[in-house]
Amino acid sequence: LLIAVCSHAQTTQISGTVTNAADGQKIIGATVSLVAAKGVGAMTDAEGKFAIKIPAAYASNIELAVTFIGFERKTVKIAPGQTTINIPLDVSAKALGELVVTALGIKKEKKALAYAVTEVKGSDFTQAREINVADALTGKIAGVNASSLASGPGSSSRVIIRGNGSLNGDNQPLYVVNGMPIDNTTQSNVASGNSSIGLNSDRGDGIGGINPDDIETITVLKGGPAAALYGARASNGVILITTKKGVKQKGIGVDYNSTFTLETPSIIPDWQYQYGSGQNGKKPVTMGEAIAAGRLSWGPKIDGSDVIQFDGVSRPYVAQKNNIKNFYNTGNTFTNTLAFSGGSDNTQYRVSLSDMNNHGLVPNQSLNKKIFSVSLVSNLSKKLTVEGYAQYNIEKAKNRSGVSDAPGNVNWGPYVLANTVDIRSLDPGYNAAGREVDWNPSGFASNPYFVINKFRNNDDRKRFIGNASIKYNLFDNLFVRGRVNHDYMNINYTGIVPTGTAYAPKGFYQQYTTTSTETNAELTINYQGKLGRDFALTAMAGGNKRKSISDAVNLNGTDFFAPGFYDPSNVVSLGTVNVNQRQATNSLFGSVDLSWKDILFLTATGRNDWFSTLSPQNNNIFYPSVGASFLLSEAVKLPSWVNYAKVRTSWAQVGGATPQPYALYQTYTILTGGGHLGQPLQMPTQTPSATGIGGSGLLQAPNPDLKPLLSTTFEAGVEGRFLNNRLSADITWYSRRTTNDIMQAAISPASGYNFALLNVGEMSNKGIEVMLGGTPVKKKDFSWDVSYNMAYNKNEVVKLAEGINSLQLDVSVNSYAYIFAEVGKPYSTIKGFKVLKDASGNTVYDNKTGYEMRTPLTDLGTGVSPFSAGITNNFRYKQFNLSFLIDGKFGGQVYSATNLYGTRFGLHDMTLPGRDGGLTVTGVDQDGKPFSKTFTYDKDLQGYYDNYKNLSEKFVYDASFIKLRQVVLTYNIPAKVFAFAKMQSVAVSFVARNLFILYKNAPNIDPESTFSNSNAQGFEMFGVPRTRSFGLNLQVKL
Amino acid sequence: CDKGFEKMNVNPNAAENPNIDLLFTQSLLKGQLPYDRGYFYTSYLHCGTYIQHFSIAKEIGGAGAGDKYAVNDFYQSFYFRYIYTNAVTTLGEILMAATSADDVNKLAATRIWKVLLMQRITDLYGDVPYSEAIRGRSKLFLPKYDTQEDIYADMLKELEAAIKSFDATKPTFGSADLLFKGNIAQWKKFGYSLMLRVAMRTTKKTGGKVIAKDWVQKAIEGGVITGAADNAILRYSNGPQTYNNNPVAFELVGQDYVSTSKGAANTEWGKYSKTFIDFLKSHNDPRLGVVSVVWNAGNPDTSAAIQKGMPNGTDVRLPDFVTYSEPNPATILQYNAPLMILTSAETNLLLSEAALRGWSSGDKAQYYREGVTAALRNWAQFGAAGVIPQEKISQYVSDNALDAGGSFETQMNQIHTQFWVALLLDEQEAYANWRRTGYPQLTPVNYNGNVTNGTIPRRFPYSQAEQGINGVNYKAAVDRQGPDLLTTRIWWDK
Repeated sequence: LLIAVCSHAQTTQISGTVTNAADGQKIIGATVSLVAAKGVGAMTDAEGKFAIKIPAAYASNIELAVTFIGFERKTVKIAPGQTTINIPLDVSAKALGELVVTALGIKKEKKALAYAVTEVKGSDFTQAREINVADALTGKIAGVNASSLASGPGSSSRVIIRGNGSLNGDNQPLYVVNGMPIDNTTQSNVASGNSSIGLNSDRGDGIGGINPDDIETITVLKGGPAAALYGARASNGVILITTKKGVKQKGIGVDYNSTFTLETPSIIPDWQYQYGSGQNGKKPVTMGEAIAAGRLSWGPKIDGSDVIQFDGVSRPYVAQKNNIKNFYNTGNTFTNTLAFSGGSDNTQYRVSLSDMNNHGLVPNQSLNKKIFSVSLVSNLSKKLTVEGYAQYNIEKAKNRSGVSDAPGNVNWGPYVLANTVDIRSLDPGYNAAGREVDWNPSGFASNPYFVINKFRNNDDRKRFIGNASIKYNLFDNLFVRGRVNHDYMNINYTGIVPTGTAYAPKGFYQQYTTTSTETNAELTINYQGKLGRDFALTAMAGGNKRKSISDAVNLNGTDFFAPGFYDPSNVVSLGTVNVNQRQATNSLFGSVDLSWKDILFLTATGRNDWFSTLSPQNNNIFYPSVGASFLLSEAVKLPSWVNYAKVRTSWAQVGGATPQPYALYQTYTILTGGGHLGQPLQMPTQTPSATGIGGSGLLQAPNPDLKPLLSTTFEAGVEGRFLNNRLSADITWYSRRTTNDIMQAAISPASGYNFALLNVGEMSNKGIEVMLGGTPVKKKDFSWDVSYNMAYNKNEVVKLAEGINSLQLDVSVNSYAYIFAEVGKPYSTIKGFKVLKDASGNTVYDNKTGYEMRTPLTDLGTGVSPFSAGITNNFRYKQFNLSFLIDGKFGGQVYSATNLYGTRFGLHDMTLPGRDGGLTVTGVDQDGKPFSKTFTYDKDLQGYYDNYKNLSEKFVYDASFIKLRQVVLTYNIPAKVFAFAKMQSVAVSFVARNLFILYKNAPNIDPESTFSNSNAQGFEMFGVPRTRSFGLNLQVKL
Repeated sequence: CDKGFEKMNVNPNAAENPNIDLLFTQSLLKGQLPYDRGYFYTSYLHCGTYIQHFSIAKEIGGAGAGDKYAVNDFYQSFYFRYIYTNAVTTLGEILMAATSADDVNKLAATRIWKVLLMQRITDLYGDVPYSEAIRGRSKLFLPKYDTQEDIYADMLKELEAAIKSFDATKPTFGSADLLFKGNIAQWKKFGYSLMLRVAMRTTKKTGGKVIAKDWVQKAIEGGVITGAADNAILRYSNGPQTYNNNPVAFELVGQDYVSTSKGAANTEWGKYSKTFIDFLKSHNDPRLGVVSVVWNAGNPDTSAAIQKGMPNGTDVRLPDFVTYSEPNPATILQYNAPLMILTSAETNLLLSEAALRGWSSGDKAQYYREGVTAALRNWAQFGAAGVIPQEKISQYVSDNALDAGGSFETQMNQIHTQFWVALLLDEQEAYANWRRTGYPQLTPVNYNGNVTNGTIPRRFPYSQAEQGINGVNYKAAVDRQGPDLLTTRIWWDK
């Protein structure tokens, strides 16, 4: 909102306070103006106060108009001689004046919108906090599927709006700060499969660098129609972040927000504690046998006797139920933000300093983020306004934990260690010579203490986000605006697999230095005017240039000369690879909004993009959008209990291109490192994620014929408010179809390539979103608000490439399970093997081994839950406020490798039958003859259960859950208590996140424990334990 | 509105045009180690334990899958998953780029090398993509699987055509050719030797598209490698890069015989097989101390008396684990060791069999002597610790002479047991030759949970991923060849 103030020499001053009539709260930022004279007015400050100097000419008859978003406009007459007044505003009955931020940061009246938009206040994220603010979107907004990952503090987020739209592209929304896009690149994608080098950690994404305390509002543009003006990258929706700005006030306003939380694992596996460490029912009797049984709980009944363990020490054979508790620390996060704001009539500023310090569950792991931000708005003249925002982050992450496969993953040992071995006896994990101490037969299953104490997995990053805008009013109804945004990130990463590691005695060295920038420059011209009495027109035209640059220098080395000294100079075999990626998109766009009598609103946009990643023959695409909004409640007479009713519909297309540069033609790479015996070496260029000197080993077939993809969305919705606005409803139906999708298809390696980029995919998402709000109780001292949201998305892969009906997205360790996109099925289908049955339903056993045989690769579920819902209740009683969010997801599945290994290693209670007295299986053999076999504990029962690894279905579980996601109990300490210190408000809260899982079906794990934010969802495997966090929050306003 | 975009979309980190010389050198290295673990998983953990050169005590569900005859898709599909993309594709790029008339010799060498790699692939799996392979650039992403019989017929024709196309007046790969430095005569011998190898593989087949005898005679007539000077050997160095290291040494040291282990804590609990060490010991083989050591008080000890192999099927790190024999750090495990691709040891032994079959007029006993002699002498290439004194070689050769008057089977046993010893480290070739001939006669293990009913596997299963990705062609191959099992015999093995 702009402030226009004129001052005159001879004046009367009127001052006062604007409050919310409903609850007496002060309203900040309300506009108070003199009705009689245009341009005379003021805005209320942080205390809701205003002061207006009335020019003498108007002093005899003063009438003030007060407006604020979401409230009814009010006019009050000032009695002669009166100089102060309190003006209570009523909440808008029809929300007619409510403005929301839309694409490109354009504010529009909500009633005029032809599509669904949801706005969340920044304050929703600042009390019960998540380290990555995107994780806090979970359960709050219909159609926004935010999944928290089990990858440890500071890991990346996965936010999917209205389902996965692209087979291989980025399915996450575009993040926009103050109208301009920022970079949300994930810094390292963790591998689901075998990762022998063992530095398999998630190093976060771009959105994680935004401080929630700097956020005024988050607006979610869910689909094509809302986001079409942002073009290609907006086809998955847009999350618009508007940062806080200063307000005009006397002196300097100070806000202080401090949160301290503790984190503990939310789930402890419920392993069996009847039989202890050993093999085939026998305890180990030598140190070698103890190591062989180090992760095998296939011994005799636990009896308390002394038994030799992996380190040659004899200890009592007793159940160790607290290995998880004993291994992990109680994590803690301490966040402090201090913000200063203020301003004069013409210039307002806000400065904030934030420090987030986390010590995670995993010992020796820490994360620190310091974020400094500045916001400035200045009206240099009546015609010229400049705005600027800048933030600078300094982030340090120490020893991010590996996840998934065993090498270097600290989370593996605590979960699978034999149940009679105390995890603390593995400490410190290395011997006098510095070598890792074996606790199990595989050197690849790392000693967790060795990893904690010796591995290094550190990154530090500097980030700058700056945007600046200049707006010039050519006329009252025409302005031009130029904006630039620059997002700069520099990351230094060092990963050390130390000397003495069991699987790599001489170690590995990794060092990545990446500098990436995303720059956008936009110029628009905007017109707003009336066409006759009933028609209003808004029009905009403009262009945008986007350029994205990423320059990385990757050092990869194997073997250190001198043990224990970790510097590239000490690496025996060192390779350096430069990866320089550049891409750009140029765009022209425009929009027209037409309204008739505040009843009917029409909107249309068009955009043309040119992409640098496509060949000049196919590199541009035009796509339009149209929409309409109709205010039923204005157009016809509705029953009196209907306060507001609106129907809306829209249709939009959004074009997109492959985000991969250099994918059109075959190129050739010289191998770094000097060649062989004086001969240089060259190979066809392998995929860019080169993790070694010899390349990634994977090739993508070039495709010069790639053209833009197209995403088409149709949506329709109804909104209403009823019963004196005590009840509201917003229902949206949408259908989104992506065609010519550019997919990276896994192809037969015999074709010479592992992947091909193909312009063939087609994916459909159809769904419904419902948001309901109500105020069941509204009294002076007590009120109860409730809001409910739910969404159902039906996703279907409609088409893959010619002759390709399935596309492998991911594969788990040892190929135990797969994730596919398959025609006719939802995206991220979990595939694996079921137990083979004959026609009569008998289990088929292999007559050689007696093990269950398995079916060919078959569907086992979908890794993405189609149904999600959340309900927030907010109770206010006098100075107390209690709010809690319960949310859930339903209908998805998860393949749990934690349960798989628990079974192979005899920890899962599923492996108890047969230990006492043998297990007889009966069925038929592969020749159809009756078959029966008894497995005995001393001989072959262990092998029978180990074979379950080949039967993926046994570890696929319903991933549905209901969680008590967030609880905030606040006590607003009455201001008068602190009157002496001039504090405006002080609030103390108990805050908690992920407090309880109220419902789940997957044993031993939190079903929300996927560890990767990649498109392939549905694998769980030894992530960093999901946590419940709770603590205190203090908010002080001076 | 797209000014400068084309220029921007040019990869600054790679070349737009191939250099076929550089590609060829790379393909020679990648043929040996298509990707890290390529040798380890395929040759060592599987082929090497199947034929009881090596023994792995690790669990059947992990690295012990080969030793104990279990299915493990990750290990067993590894070769298929990496050899085409990392080595065969590179050759395909040369074949596409080498279009000038001056490129005939480069083209010929490329075609011969491609046959060597393709044979290795088909020998592991059976029917595999061949005629439609490496055509991803022309958008053929899901190649059909050719029958092994068709592949063999075509490989032999390819060899013949390639050898005939050499032209001494045209340029060669020169120093980019790590095998023969562009020596055309040597390339021809290598080509004919490969023809002999390919043809001899089909001796079980009578009739059909490949007549072994005809091709063997063609090879002999053309002239195979008979002397050490013409051996196909790849040379390596101590680094600095891993690709400079002999892949056998690099993989064995990196993955099992780690330098700090000193025989005690080998990563995958690998040792030489009892079968192999017992054979060397019982024949007073002078190669014993060349290839094998026992770590004795922290030092590698080559004394024959203490050499001892670990039985296959062992499933625990035995208390006396350190006392078992393992590869000699002074020969096999040197990063700069040579890699024998195809030598006169192999050709002479095959010629001996050809003569035994009456397919050539040569002296089978003489070929046999020369083959065994060459096999012992080859170790001298590994440095001082590999040199076997001539008198010991002579002694061994005379002690183990071919029983020329014995039965066909007796002589086959002798020839191919020597082949089995001679091709230690070339586990893929040794495994294929064992499957063809059945010699030496090996006693399988029958470990609980094995899926072969206690028989030595006859092939690797296809990559599981192919079922999902290239399902139609996969299914056609399985329908034709037989179930996708370890026990199904491939065409030339039936």
